[in-house]
Amino acid sequence: MGKLVADDGRTHIVSPLMQESLVNRSVIASTDSEREFEIMPTVTLVGLGGQSIFDRGREALLPLADEIASLRGQHRMVIGVGGGTRVRHTMSIALDLGLPTGGVAQLVGAMEEANAVLLNALLAKHGSITMQREHFWDLPLYLDNNMIPIAISTPPYHFWEPPPEHGPLPAHGSDFGLFMLAEVLGMQRIIFVKDEDGLYTKDPKQHDDATPIPKTTLAALLADMPEELILDRQLFTAWDRGRHVREVQIINGLKRGALARALAGQDEGTIITKEST
Amino acid sequence: MADQDRTPGSAERQFTIASALSGATLTTADTSIDYRPIAVMPDVKVVKIGGQSIMDRGRSAVFPLVEEIVAARKQNHHLLLCCGGGTRARHIYAIGSDLEMPTGVLAALGGYVPRQNARMLQMLLARHGGVFILDDDFEKLPLYFNVGCIPVMTGMPPFGYWEKPTKGGRIPENRTDAGVFLSAEFLGVKRAIFVKDEAGLYDDDPKKNPQATFIPRISARELLARDLPDVVVERIVLEYLTRARSCHEVQIVNGLEPGMLTRALAGEDVGSIIYKD
Repeated sequence: MGKLVADDGRTHIVSPLMQESLVNRSVIASTDSEREFEIMPTVTLVGLGGQSIFDRGREALLPLADEIASLRGQHRMVIGVGGGTRVRHTMSIALDLGLPTGGVAQLVGAMEEANAVLLNALLAKHGSITMQREHFWDLPLYLDNNMIPIAISTPPYHFWEPPPEHGPLPAHGSDFGLFMLAEVLGMQRIIFVKDEDGLYTKDPKQHDDATPIPKTTLAALLADMPEELILDRQLFTAWDRGRHVREVQIINGLKRGALARALAGQDEGTIITKEST
Repeated sequence: MADQDRTPGSAERQFTIASALSGATLTTADTSIDYRPIAVMPDVKVVKIGGQSIMDRGRSAVFPLVEEIVAARKQNHHLLLCCGGGTRARHIYAIGSDLEMPTGVLAALGGYVPRQNARMLQMLLARHGGVFILDDDFEKLPLYFNVGCIPVMTGMPPFGYWEKPTKGGRIPENRTDAGVFLSAEFLGVKRAIFVKDEAGLYDDDPKKNPQATFIPRISARELLARDLPDVVVERIVLEYLTRARSCHEVQIVNGLEPGMLTRALAGEDVGSIIYKD
Protein backbone atom coordinates (compact mmCIF):
# COMPACT_ATOMS: atom_id res chain seq x y z
CA MET A 1 0.00 0.00 0.00
CA GLY A 2 2.97 2.35 -0.34
CA LYS A 3 3.05 3.05 -4.08
CA LEU A 4 2.25 6.45 -5.57
CA VAL A 5 0.31 7.10 -8.77
CA ALA A 6 0.22 10.51 -10.46
CA ASP A 7 -1.21 9.82 -13.91
CA ASP A 8 -4.07 12.34 -13.67
CA GLY A 9 -2.23 15.34 -12.22
CA ARG A 10 -3.08 14.37 -8.65
CA THR A 11 -0.72 12.25 -6.58
CA HIS A 12 -2.50 9.21 -5.17
CA ILE A 13 -1.38 6.57 -2.70
CA VAL A 14 -2.37 3.16 -4.01
CA SER A 15 -5.26 1.87 -1.89
CA PRO A 16 -8.71 0.41 -2.57
CA LEU A 17 -10.18 3.93 -2.23
CA MET A 18 -7.58 5.61 -4.47
CA GLN A 19 -9.03 8.06 -7.01
CA GLU A 20 -12.50 7.19 -5.79
CA SER A 21 -15.30 9.54 -4.96
CA LEU A 22 -16.20 8.81 -1.36
CA VAL A 23 -19.75 9.95 -2.20
CA ASN A 24 -20.23 7.06 -4.64
CA ARG A 25 -22.61 4.48 -3.16
CA SER A 26 -20.71 1.42 -4.38
CA VAL A 27 -17.46 2.81 -2.99
CA ILE A 28 -19.12 3.34 0.40
CA ALA A 29 -20.55 -0.18 0.29
CA SER A 30 -17.08 -1.60 -0.42
CA THR A 31 -16.04 -0.51 3.09
CA ASP A 32 -18.84 -2.42 4.80
CA SER A 33 -18.42 -5.76 6.51
CA GLU A 34 -20.40 -8.09 8.74
CA ARG A 35 -18.30 -7.55 11.79
CA GLU A 36 -16.70 -4.61 13.54
CA PHE A 37 -13.70 -4.57 15.83
CA GLU A 38 -14.58 -4.25 19.53
CA ILE A 39 -12.18 -1.90 21.26
CA MET A 40 -13.27 -2.23 24.92
CA PRO A 41 -16.18 -4.68 25.01
CA THR A 42 -16.17 -5.44 28.75
CA VAL A 43 -16.57 -1.86 29.94
CA THR A 44 -19.99 -0.58 31.04
CA LEU A 45 -20.91 3.05 30.63
CA VAL A 46 -22.88 4.56 33.52
CA GLY A 47 -24.54 7.92 32.79
CA LEU A 48 -25.61 10.07 35.72
CA GLY A 49 -28.44 12.48 34.97
CA GLY A 50 -27.86 16.18 35.44
CA GLN A 51 -31.29 17.38 36.44
CA SER A 52 -32.34 14.04 37.87
CA ILE A 53 -29.28 13.41 40.07
CA PHE A 54 -26.81 16.30 40.27
CA ASP A 55 -29.39 19.05 40.75
CA ARG A 56 -30.71 17.23 43.83
CA GLY A 57 -27.48 17.92 45.66
CA ARG A 58 -26.25 15.85 48.61
CA GLU A 59 -29.48 13.98 49.08
CA ALA A 60 -29.06 12.15 45.79
CA LEU A 61 -25.34 12.51 45.15
CA LEU A 62 -23.72 11.37 48.38
CA PRO A 63 -25.40 7.95 48.58
CA LEU A 64 -24.79 7.41 44.87
CA ALA A 65 -21.13 8.39 45.19
CA ASP A 66 -20.91 5.92 48.10
CA GLU A 67 -22.40 3.21 45.95
CA ILE A 68 -20.05 3.94 43.04
CA ALA A 69 -17.06 3.84 45.41
CA SER A 70 -18.20 0.48 46.81
CA LEU A 71 -18.46 -0.96 43.29
CA ARG A 72 -14.93 0.05 42.42
CA GLY A 73 -12.84 -2.86 41.27
CA GLN A 74 -15.89 -5.10 40.76
CA HIS A 75 -16.89 -3.64 37.41
CA ARG A 76 -14.98 -1.97 34.62
CA MET A 77 -17.01 1.20 34.20
CA VAL A 78 -16.82 4.74 32.92
CA ILE A 79 -19.05 7.35 34.53
CA GLY A 80 -20.66 9.97 32.29
CA VAL A 81 -22.25 13.10 33.73
CA GLY A 82 -25.07 15.32 32.52
CA GLY A 83 -25.44 19.06 33.02
CA GLY A 84 -28.99 19.53 34.30
CA THR A 85 -30.82 22.75 35.02
CA ARG A 86 -27.85 24.97 34.21
CA VAL A 87 -27.86 23.55 30.67
CA ARG A 88 -31.53 24.42 30.33
CA HIS A 89 -30.89 27.90 31.63
CA THR A 90 -27.95 28.33 29.24
CA MET A 91 -30.09 27.25 26.32
CA SER A 92 -33.04 29.44 27.19
CA ILE A 93 -30.85 32.54 27.46
CA ALA A 94 -28.91 31.61 24.32
CA LEU A 95 -32.10 31.11 22.31
CA ASP A 96 -33.58 34.34 23.60
CA LEU A 97 -30.42 36.08 22.36
CA GLY A 98 -30.92 34.43 18.96
CA LEU A 99 -27.60 32.55 18.98
CA PRO A 100 -27.35 29.98 16.19
CA THR A 101 -27.83 26.31 17.06
CA GLY A 102 -24.07 25.71 16.83
CA GLY A 103 -23.51 28.53 19.29
CA VAL A 104 -25.91 26.91 21.76
CA ALA A 105 -24.14 23.55 21.31
CA GLN A 106 -20.77 25.19 21.97
CA LEU A 107 -21.92 26.47 25.35
CA VAL A 108 -23.51 23.51 27.11
CA GLY A 109 -20.50 21.22 27.69
CA ALA A 110 -19.10 23.60 30.31
CA MET A 111 -22.04 22.92 32.62
CA GLU A 112 -21.29 19.20 32.46
CA GLU A 113 -17.62 19.78 33.11
CA ALA A 114 -18.63 21.52 36.33
CA ASN A 115 -20.59 18.42 37.36
CA ALA A 116 -17.64 16.18 36.46
CA VAL A 117 -15.48 18.24 38.80
CA LEU A 118 -18.08 18.01 41.58
CA LEU A 119 -18.32 14.23 41.29
CA ASN A 120 -14.58 13.92 41.05
CA ALA A 121 -14.19 15.90 44.25
CA LEU A 122 -16.52 13.41 45.97
CA LEU A 123 -14.79 10.35 44.55
CA ALA A 124 -11.14 11.42 44.31
CA LYS A 125 -10.17 9.50 47.46
CA HIS A 126 -11.67 6.41 45.81
CA GLY A 127 -9.54 6.79 42.69
CA SER A 128 -11.70 8.79 40.33
CA ILE A 129 -10.28 10.90 37.54
CA THR A 130 -11.87 13.36 35.12
CA MET A 131 -11.20 12.30 31.56
CA GLN A 132 -10.27 14.75 28.84
CA ARG A 133 -12.60 14.65 25.87
CA GLU A 134 -11.29 12.01 23.49
CA HIS A 135 -8.55 10.63 25.71
CA PHE A 136 -10.01 7.14 25.37
CA TRP A 137 -6.58 5.64 25.04
CA ASP A 138 -5.89 6.41 28.72
CA LEU A 139 -8.80 4.18 29.72
CA PRO A 140 -6.84 0.90 29.95
CA LEU A 141 -4.48 2.64 32.37
CA TYR A 142 -7.34 3.83 34.58
CA LEU A 143 -9.40 0.65 34.47
CA ASP A 144 -6.51 -1.74 35.04
CA ASN A 145 -5.71 0.27 38.16
CA ASN A 146 -9.31 0.16 39.41
CA MET A 147 -9.78 3.87 38.90
CA ILE A 148 -13.12 5.50 38.13
CA PRO A 149 -12.92 7.63 34.97
CA ILE A 150 -15.49 10.44 34.73
CA ALA A 151 -16.40 11.80 31.29
CA ILE A 152 -18.75 14.52 30.15
CA SER A 153 -21.66 13.49 27.95
CA THR A 154 -22.36 16.13 25.31
CA PRO A 155 -20.69 15.20 22.02
CA PRO A 156 -18.08 17.69 20.77
CA TYR A 157 -20.17 18.92 17.83
CA HIS A 158 -19.79 22.49 19.09
CA PHE A 159 -20.21 25.28 16.52
CA TRP A 160 -20.64 22.54 13.89
CA GLU A 161 -23.89 21.14 15.29
CA PRO A 162 -25.97 20.24 12.22
CA PRO A 163 -29.19 22.17 11.59
CA PRO A 164 -31.90 20.35 13.60
CA GLU A 165 -34.94 18.86 11.91
CA HIS A 166 -37.27 20.82 14.16
CA GLY A 167 -36.73 23.95 16.19
CA PRO A 168 -33.48 25.61 17.18
CA LEU A 169 -32.29 23.25 19.97
CA PRO A 170 -29.21 21.10 19.20
CA ALA A 171 -30.36 17.57 18.38
CA HIS A 172 -27.18 15.89 19.61
CA GLY A 173 -27.57 16.00 23.35
CA SER A 174 -25.89 14.32 26.26
CA ASP A 175 -27.66 10.93 26.05
CA PHE A 176 -26.69 10.67 22.40
CA GLY A 177 -23.12 11.68 23.26
CA LEU A 178 -22.83 8.98 25.92
CA PHE A 179 -24.26 6.41 23.54
CA MET A 180 -21.66 7.27 20.91
CA LEU A 181 -18.85 7.02 23.46
CA ALA A 182 -19.99 3.48 24.34
CA GLU A 183 -20.65 2.47 20.74
CA VAL A 184 -17.36 3.60 19.25
CA LEU A 185 -15.44 1.77 21.99
CA GLY A 186 -17.40 -1.43 21.38
CA MET A 187 -19.12 -1.44 24.78
CA GLN A 188 -22.23 -3.59 25.08
CA ARG A 189 -24.09 -1.96 27.95
CA ILE A 190 -25.12 1.50 29.02
CA ILE A 191 -26.88 2.24 32.30
CA PHE A 192 -28.61 5.61 32.54
CA VAL A 193 -29.11 6.70 36.15
CA LYS A 194 -32.11 9.02 36.39
CA ASP A 195 -34.81 9.81 38.96
CA GLU A 196 -37.58 7.60 37.59
CA ASP A 197 -37.96 3.83 37.49
CA GLY A 198 -37.11 3.78 33.81
CA LEU A 199 -39.29 4.43 30.77
CA TYR A 200 -42.97 5.21 31.03
CA THR A 201 -45.70 5.49 28.44
CA LYS A 202 -45.80 9.22 29.27
CA ASP A 203 -43.75 11.58 31.42
CA PRO A 204 -44.62 10.34 34.95
CA LYS A 205 -43.81 13.76 36.41
CA GLN A 206 -46.69 15.27 34.48
CA HIS A 207 -49.19 12.43 34.05
CA ASP A 208 -50.64 10.28 36.83
CA ASP A 209 -51.77 7.62 34.38
CA ALA A 210 -48.26 6.98 33.05
CA THR A 211 -47.37 3.29 33.24
CA PRO A 212 -43.84 1.90 33.50
CA ILE A 213 -42.25 -0.17 30.72
CA PRO A 214 -39.94 -2.69 32.44
CA LYS A 215 -38.74 -4.39 29.26
CA THR A 216 -38.85 -3.39 25.64
CA THR A 217 -36.81 -3.59 22.47
CA LEU A 218 -35.25 -0.94 20.31
CA ALA A 219 -37.41 -2.05 17.38
CA ALA A 220 -40.60 -1.66 19.44
CA LEU A 221 -39.54 1.81 20.59
CA LEU A 222 -38.66 2.94 17.08
CA ALA A 223 -42.01 1.70 15.79
CA ASP A 224 -43.97 3.44 18.52
CA MET A 225 -41.97 6.23 20.14
CA PRO A 226 -43.58 7.75 23.26
CA GLU A 227 -44.30 11.48 22.92
CA GLU A 228 -42.20 12.43 25.94
CA LEU A 229 -38.96 10.57 26.38
CA ILE A 230 -36.51 10.36 29.26
CA LEU A 231 -33.69 9.97 26.70
CA ASP A 232 -32.70 11.90 23.55
CA ARG A 233 -34.44 10.78 20.39
CA GLN A 234 -31.13 10.88 18.48
CA LEU A 235 -29.85 8.11 20.74
CA PHE A 236 -32.37 5.63 19.35
CA THR A 237 -31.75 6.44 15.70
CA ALA A 238 -27.98 6.16 16.21
CA TRP A 239 -28.41 2.91 18.17
CA ASP A 240 -30.40 1.52 15.26
CA ARG A 241 -27.33 1.93 13.07
CA GLY A 242 -24.86 0.84 15.75
CA ARG A 243 -23.27 -2.58 16.05
CA HIS A 244 -22.06 -2.97 19.62
CA VAL A 245 -24.45 -1.71 22.27
CA ARG A 246 -26.88 -4.53 23.03
CA GLU A 247 -28.61 -3.17 26.09
CA VAL A 248 -29.61 0.20 27.47
CA GLN A 249 -30.90 0.17 31.04
CA ILE A 250 -32.58 3.13 32.72
CA ILE A 251 -32.66 3.01 36.51
CA ASN A 252 -33.69 5.15 39.43
CA GLY A 253 -30.58 6.51 41.11
CA LEU A 254 -32.60 7.65 44.12
CA LYS A 255 -33.16 4.01 45.00
CA ARG A 256 -30.43 2.53 47.12
CA GLY A 257 -28.68 -0.41 45.48
CA ALA A 258 -30.28 0.07 42.07
CA LEU A 259 -26.95 0.73 40.37
CA ALA A 260 -25.29 -2.26 42.04
CA ARG A 261 -28.16 -4.51 40.95
CA ALA A 262 -28.09 -3.17 37.39
CA LEU A 263 -24.32 -3.64 37.13
CA ALA A 264 -24.77 -7.21 38.42
CA GLY A 265 -27.09 -7.82 35.47
CA GLN A 266 -30.32 -7.88 37.44
CA ASP A 267 -33.69 -6.54 36.28
CA GLU A 268 -34.05 -2.98 37.47
CA GLY A 269 -35.92 -0.07 35.94
CA THR A 270 -36.30 -0.45 32.20
CA ILE A 271 -34.17 -2.71 30.04
CA ILE A 272 -34.16 -1.95 26.32
CA THR A 273 -32.51 -4.62 24.21
CA LYS A 274 -31.47 -4.69 20.62
CA GLU A 275 -31.83 -8.00 18.78
CA SER A 276 -28.87 -9.20 16.79
CA THR A 277 -29.23 -8.22 13.19
CA MET B 1 -21.86 10.09 53.82
CA ALA B 2 -25.62 10.37 54.12
CA ASP B 3 -27.12 7.20 55.46
CA GLN B 4 -30.84 7.83 55.14
CA ASP B 5 -32.70 5.59 52.73
CA ARG B 6 -33.33 6.88 49.28
CA THR B 7 -36.81 6.27 48.06
CA PRO B 8 -38.45 7.84 45.04
CA GLY B 9 -40.27 10.95 46.08
CA SER B 10 -38.17 11.47 49.20
CA ALA B 11 -35.66 13.58 47.33
CA GLU B 12 -37.99 16.42 46.49
CA ARG B 13 -35.27 18.95 47.15
CA GLN B 14 -34.05 20.02 43.74
CA PHE B 15 -31.88 23.02 42.91
CA THR B 16 -33.67 24.28 39.83
CA ILE B 17 -33.07 27.56 38.01
CA ALA B 18 -36.32 28.89 36.65
CA SER B 19 -36.03 29.38 32.88
CA ALA B 20 -38.14 28.91 29.78
CA LEU B 21 -36.69 25.40 29.46
CA SER B 22 -36.43 24.42 33.13
CA GLY B 23 -39.25 21.89 32.88
CA ALA B 24 -38.42 20.68 29.38
CA THR B 25 -36.98 17.25 28.63
CA LEU B 26 -34.98 18.79 25.74
CA THR B 27 -36.15 15.90 23.60
CA THR B 28 -39.36 17.66 22.70
CA ALA B 29 -38.92 20.12 19.87
CA ASP B 30 -41.36 22.80 20.94
CA THR B 31 -40.15 25.64 23.05
CA SER B 32 -42.09 28.68 24.15
CA ILE B 33 -39.15 30.89 23.23
CA ASP B 34 -39.60 33.43 20.47
CA TYR B 35 -36.47 32.54 18.51
CA ARG B 36 -35.12 35.31 16.32
CA PRO B 37 -31.66 34.14 15.16
CA ILE B 38 -28.81 36.57 14.70
CA ALA B 39 -26.10 36.30 12.04
CA VAL B 40 -22.70 35.90 13.71
CA MET B 41 -20.35 37.00 10.89
CA PRO B 42 -22.38 37.04 7.67
CA ASP B 43 -19.72 38.79 5.53
CA VAL B 44 -17.06 36.10 5.87
CA LYS B 45 -16.28 34.12 2.71
CA VAL B 46 -16.10 30.48 3.71
CA VAL B 47 -13.98 28.69 1.12
CA LYS B 48 -13.16 25.02 0.97
CA ILE B 49 -9.92 24.03 -0.74
CA GLY B 50 -10.31 20.45 -2.00
CA GLY B 51 -7.94 17.72 -0.82
CA GLN B 52 -7.79 15.21 -3.66
CA SER B 53 -8.88 17.82 -6.20
CA ILE B 54 -6.46 20.64 -5.30
CA MET B 55 -3.89 19.88 -2.58
CA ASP B 56 -2.89 16.47 -4.00
CA ARG B 57 -2.03 18.19 -7.29
CA GLY B 58 0.71 20.12 -5.56
CA ARG B 59 2.30 23.29 -6.90
CA SER B 60 0.55 23.39 -10.30
CA ALA B 61 -2.90 23.70 -8.70
CA VAL B 62 -2.11 25.32 -5.36
CA PHE B 63 0.21 28.19 -6.35
CA PRO B 64 -2.21 29.92 -8.77
CA LEU B 65 -4.96 29.62 -6.13
CA VAL B 66 -2.69 31.14 -3.50
CA GLU B 67 -2.25 34.14 -5.82
CA GLU B 68 -6.01 34.54 -6.17
CA ILE B 69 -6.46 34.22 -2.41
CA VAL B 70 -3.84 36.89 -1.69
CA ALA B 71 -5.41 39.23 -4.26
CA ALA B 72 -8.84 38.69 -2.73
CA ARG B 73 -7.47 39.47 0.71
CA LYS B 74 -6.07 42.76 -0.64
CA GLN B 75 -9.58 43.59 -1.80
CA ASN B 76 -10.65 43.23 1.83
CA HIS B 77 -12.50 39.96 1.51
CA HIS B 78 -12.59 38.17 4.85
CA LEU B 79 -11.58 34.67 3.82
CA LEU B 80 -11.86 31.59 6.00
CA LEU B 81 -10.02 28.76 4.23
CA CYS B 82 -10.89 25.18 5.14
CA CYS B 83 -8.95 22.26 3.73
CA GLY B 84 -10.07 18.85 2.52
CA GLY B 85 -8.20 15.58 3.04
CA GLY B 86 -7.55 13.70 -0.19
CA THR B 87 -5.65 10.55 -0.96
CA ARG B 88 -4.02 10.10 2.44
CA ALA B 89 -7.46 10.24 4.03
CA ARG B 90 -8.63 7.62 1.53
CA HIS B 91 -5.62 5.49 2.39
CA ILE B 92 -6.33 5.57 6.13
CA TYR B 93 -10.07 4.94 5.53
CA ALA B 94 -9.08 1.92 3.42
CA ILE B 95 -6.83 0.47 6.14
CA GLY B 96 -9.29 1.35 8.90
CA SER B 97 -12.10 -0.37 7.00
CA ASP B 98 -9.87 -3.36 6.34
CA LEU B 99 -9.38 -3.64 10.13
CA GLU B 100 -13.17 -3.31 10.61
CA MET B 101 -12.80 -0.21 12.77
CA PRO B 102 -15.93 1.75 13.80
CA THR B 103 -16.89 4.82 11.79
CA GLY B 104 -16.01 7.08 14.74
CA VAL B 105 -12.45 5.78 14.73
CA LEU B 106 -12.23 6.38 10.97
CA ALA B 107 -13.53 9.92 11.45
CA ALA B 108 -10.91 10.58 14.12
CA LEU B 109 -8.17 9.15 11.90
CA GLY B 110 -9.41 11.03 8.85
CA GLY B 111 -9.15 14.26 10.82
CA TYR B 112 -5.36 14.28 10.78
CA VAL B 113 -4.99 14.68 7.03
CA PRO B 114 -6.96 17.91 6.39
CA ARG B 115 -5.10 19.43 9.34
CA GLN B 116 -1.83 18.65 7.55
CA ASN B 117 -3.19 20.22 4.38
CA ALA B 118 -4.25 23.33 6.32
CA ARG B 119 -0.73 23.59 7.75
CA MET B 120 0.79 23.30 4.26
CA LEU B 121 -1.48 26.03 2.94
CA GLN B 122 -0.67 28.21 5.94
CA MET B 123 3.06 27.94 5.22
CA LEU B 124 2.43 29.15 1.67
CA LEU B 125 0.26 32.02 2.91
CA ALA B 126 2.29 32.95 5.99
CA ARG B 127 3.99 35.98 4.42
CA HIS B 128 0.57 37.22 3.32
CA GLY B 129 -1.00 36.81 6.76
CA GLY B 130 -2.03 33.15 6.67
CA VAL B 131 -2.60 31.75 10.18
CA PHE B 132 -3.32 28.11 11.01
CA ILE B 133 -6.22 27.88 13.44
CA LEU B 134 -7.79 25.10 15.46
CA ASP B 135 -11.48 24.64 16.22
CA ASP B 136 -10.90 26.32 19.57
CA ASP B 137 -9.67 29.45 17.78
CA PHE B 138 -12.95 29.86 15.93
CA GLU B 139 -14.07 32.56 18.34
CA LYS B 140 -10.95 34.58 17.46
CA LEU B 141 -11.96 34.98 13.81
CA PRO B 142 -12.85 38.68 14.32
CA LEU B 143 -9.32 39.29 15.57
CA TYR B 144 -7.70 37.55 12.59
CA PHE B 145 -9.84 39.48 10.13
CA ASN B 146 -9.33 42.81 11.85
CA VAL B 147 -5.55 42.51 11.60
CA GLY B 148 -5.77 41.41 7.97
CA CYS B 149 -4.99 37.73 8.41
CA ILE B 150 -6.19 34.75 6.37
CA PRO B 151 -7.23 32.00 8.82
CA VAL B 152 -6.66 28.47 7.52
CA MET B 153 -8.19 25.45 9.24
CA THR B 154 -9.32 21.89 8.70
CA GLY B 155 -12.62 21.38 6.95
CA MET B 156 -13.36 18.36 9.12
CA PRO B 157 -16.04 18.94 11.76
CA PRO B 158 -14.90 18.02 15.28
CA PHE B 159 -17.29 15.04 15.65
CA GLY B 160 -14.43 12.51 15.53
CA TYR B 161 -15.17 9.47 17.69
CA TRP B 162 -18.75 10.77 18.06
CA GLU B 163 -19.44 10.45 14.32
CA LYS B 164 -22.55 8.30 13.83
CA PRO B 165 -22.18 4.83 12.35
CA THR B 166 -22.71 4.90 8.57
CA LYS B 167 -25.46 2.73 7.18
CA GLY B 168 -24.14 0.23 4.64
CA GLY B 169 -20.51 1.29 4.96
CA ARG B 170 -17.87 2.74 7.24
CA ILE B 171 -16.78 6.02 5.67
CA PRO B 172 -17.88 8.91 7.92
CA GLU B 173 -20.83 10.82 6.47
CA ASN B 174 -19.63 14.14 7.87
CA ARG B 175 -16.32 14.90 6.25
CA THR B 176 -14.74 18.14 5.12
CA ASP B 177 -17.59 19.32 2.85
CA ALA B 178 -19.99 18.94 5.78
CA GLY B 179 -17.65 20.74 8.17
CA VAL B 180 -17.23 23.66 5.78
CA PHE B 181 -20.97 23.92 5.23
CA LEU B 182 -21.61 23.85 8.99
CA SER B 183 -18.99 26.56 9.54
CA ALA B 184 -20.87 28.78 7.09
CA GLU B 185 -24.19 27.89 8.71
CA PHE B 186 -22.95 28.86 12.18
CA LEU B 187 -21.38 32.10 10.95
CA GLY B 188 -24.61 33.07 9.19
CA VAL B 189 -22.94 33.09 5.76
CA LYS B 190 -25.43 32.70 2.92
CA ARG B 191 -23.19 30.91 0.42
CA ALA B 192 -20.32 28.47 0.98
CA ILE B 193 -17.75 28.14 -1.82
CA PHE B 194 -16.18 24.76 -2.63
CA VAL B 195 -13.06 24.83 -4.80
CA LYS B 196 -12.66 21.49 -6.59
CA ASP B 197 -11.23 20.28 -9.90
CA GLU B 198 -14.41 20.05 -11.96
CA ALA B 199 -16.52 22.83 -13.46
CA GLY B 200 -19.19 22.03 -10.90
CA LEU B 201 -21.95 19.49 -10.43
CA TYR B 202 -22.59 16.69 -12.95
CA ASP B 203 -25.17 13.92 -12.97
CA ASP B 204 -22.33 11.39 -12.61
CA ASP B 205 -18.58 11.47 -11.90
CA PRO B 206 -17.20 13.26 -15.00
CA LYS B 207 -13.80 11.66 -14.39
CA LYS B 208 -15.29 8.19 -14.87
CA ASN B 209 -18.18 8.98 -17.23
CA PRO B 210 -17.44 11.40 -20.11
CA GLN B 211 -21.17 11.47 -20.95
CA ALA B 212 -22.00 13.07 -17.60
CA THR B 213 -24.14 16.22 -17.95
CA PHE B 214 -23.27 19.50 -16.27
CA ILE B 215 -25.89 20.91 -13.86
CA PRO B 216 -25.39 24.68 -13.34
CA ARG B 217 -28.18 25.19 -10.81
CA ILE B 218 -30.42 22.83 -8.85
CA SER B 219 -32.24 22.74 -5.54
CA ALA B 220 -30.97 20.45 -2.81
CA ARG B 221 -34.33 18.74 -2.58
CA GLU B 222 -34.43 18.02 -6.31
CA LEU B 223 -30.84 16.77 -6.28
CA LEU B 224 -31.62 14.42 -3.40
CA ALA B 225 -34.72 13.19 -5.23
CA ARG B 226 -32.68 12.40 -8.35
CA ASP B 227 -30.69 9.97 -6.22
CA LEU B 228 -27.61 10.12 -8.46
CA PRO B 229 -24.94 7.42 -8.09
CA ASP B 230 -22.33 10.12 -7.44
CA VAL B 231 -22.47 13.83 -6.61
CA VAL B 232 -19.74 16.43 -6.25
CA VAL B 233 -20.43 17.19 -2.56
CA GLU B 234 -21.05 14.93 0.42
CA ARG B 235 -24.68 13.87 0.39
CA ILE B 236 -25.23 14.93 3.99
CA VAL B 237 -24.55 18.53 2.94
CA LEU B 238 -27.64 18.33 0.72
CA GLU B 239 -29.70 17.14 3.69
CA TYR B 240 -28.35 19.94 5.88
CA LEU B 241 -29.07 22.44 3.11
CA THR B 242 -32.77 21.51 3.08
CA ARG B 243 -33.11 22.54 6.73
CA ALA B 244 -30.41 25.20 7.13
CA ARG B 245 -31.36 28.54 8.63
CA SER B 246 -28.53 30.68 7.24
CA CYS B 247 -26.41 28.99 4.59
CA HIS B 248 -28.81 28.59 1.69
CA GLU B 249 -26.37 28.01 -1.17
CA VAL B 250 -23.37 25.87 -1.97
CA GLN B 251 -21.26 26.96 -4.92
CA ILE B 252 -18.82 24.55 -6.57
CA VAL B 253 -16.11 26.05 -8.77
CA ASN B 254 -13.14 24.72 -10.69
CA GLY B 255 -9.98 25.86 -8.93
CA LEU B 256 -7.85 24.75 -11.88
CA GLU B 257 -9.42 27.39 -14.09
CA PRO B 258 -7.73 30.75 -13.44
CA GLY B 259 -10.04 33.45 -12.12
CA MET B 260 -12.94 31.20 -11.10
CA LEU B 261 -12.37 31.60 -7.36
CA THR B 262 -12.00 35.36 -7.81
CA ARG B 263 -15.30 35.52 -9.70
CA ALA B 264 -17.04 33.37 -7.11
CA LEU B 265 -15.75 35.66 -4.35
CA ALA B 266 -17.12 38.64 -6.31
CA GLY B 267 -20.53 36.99 -6.07
CA GLU B 268 -20.77 35.73 -9.64
CA ASP B 269 -22.80 32.59 -10.24
CA VAL B 270 -19.93 30.65 -11.82
CA GLY B 271 -19.66 26.89 -11.56
CA SER B 272 -22.67 25.12 -10.06
CA ILE B 273 -25.01 26.31 -7.36
CA ILE B 274 -27.05 24.00 -5.16
CA TYR B 275 -29.64 25.97 -3.25
CA LYS B 276 -32.20 25.52 -0.53
CA ASP B 277 -35.77 25.50 -1.90
